[in-house]
This record gives sequence, structure tokens and C-alpha cells, in this order.
Amino acid sequence: MENKLEEIRKQHGMNQEELAAVLEVSRQTIGSLENGRYNPSILLAFKIARYFHMHIEDIFIYKEDYNDDDKA
Amino acid sequence: MIKRKNGKYAFLATIGLILFVTGLILIKFSQTSEGMLLTLPYIFVGVGMGIFGHNLGELMKNIALAKDPEAAKQIEIEANDERNIAISHKAKAKAYDAMLLIFGALMLVFALMQVNLNIILTFVAAYLLLIIINIYYLRKFQKEM
Repeated sequence: MENKLEEIRKQHGMNQEELAAVLEVSRQTIGSLENGRYNPSILLAFKIARYFHMHIEDIFIYKEDYNDDDKA
Repeated sequence: MIKRKNGKYAFLATIGLILFVTGLILIKFSQTSEGMLLTLPYIFVGVGMGIFGHNLGELMKNIALAKDPEAAKQIEIEANDERNIAISHKAKAKAYDAMLLIFGALMLVFALMQVNLNIILTFVAAYLLLIIINIYYLRKFQKEM
């Protein structure tokens, strides 16, 4: 799954620490999300979308042919 | 909540210290014990020190964090972070898989060394117990989730 989190965060003028503090997750989690190494739970995805007043689909992009067997 | 936990830690640390001191006194003054009783004071010292150290550490950590709410909040975030929890679960699962292989190999080695049958059977029982616990939780979570 790809996402536009980094782009959206930068548009809001925030750094990773600030976003992590607002979402109550670790800074590493934000970094991993932005790098696409970690896919968020549906709860965290909603939390992120709500915070930016967006829809989940506007931030996270699901691709049909994506093989997530080796992802967390 | 934290104050109540501190009370629990202080209580358990005291129990640990009492066990430790009791163990030392028994080592010093009891020379007549036989068999299992002979090892009891040493178990008291080991377990007592473990309980004392762990709970005193938790107590000191809580006291230090009470003075620094920001650090306390950060530690809470790290502990509840979903990625950290997922990583921890994944690491435990890998360790469990490795443990089954290592236990299996160890049982084979023990059998080839013709170690006492009771020891091998205890090992087999422990191995089976772990697998039963695994199956129990698989079924439990399948019903719950």
C-alpha cells in the first residue's frame, strides 16, 4: 500500500515528531508509514485521516496487484 | 493509580528483601537440612533478590517519572504504539518457532546421549505443553476475532 502521508504532513508544515505527538504514536511509526515499510491499522488510518480532515483513500492508496505477504 | 502501583511495588520489594535475608540466615545457621531442604535457602536468596530488584526498579522508575510527566507520556506512547506492539508480537512468534526447533534438536541430542529417561520425558512434556498452549490460544483467538 502506498500513501501520501509525507506530502500531506509537509503541506501542513509539521515534522514527524509533531505528527507523532498528535497521533500518540512513536516518531519511528510515522517514518515507517511514510517509507511504506509499515501499513497502519484501520484505527490509525482513520485517526490520521480525521486529523487532516480527509478521507482515508485520499491518503492511503490501495493497489489490487499489491502483494503484502512480506509486509507487517 | 500509579500511587496504588507504587504501594504494590514497595510491598513486593519488602517481601523480596525478607525472602533474601531469610535465605541468608538459613544458609548461615542451618546445617542439618537434607535433600530438597538443602537448596531451599539458596532458592530464597535467588528468588528474593529477583523480586526485590525488579520491584525496587519499577518503584524508582515511577518515582522518577512522576517528576517528569513528559517523559512518562513518551514512555506510555512507546509502550502503546501499534507498530512497536506488532514488532514485539512478530519477534515473539519467530522466537517460538526457533524454540520448537531448538527444543526438538535438544531432545534428540539428549536421547542420543542416553540421558536419564525421566529428564527426556520432562523435556517432552514441556515441549508438548508449549504446543498445547499454542493450540489453545489459536482456538481462543479464532473464536474471539
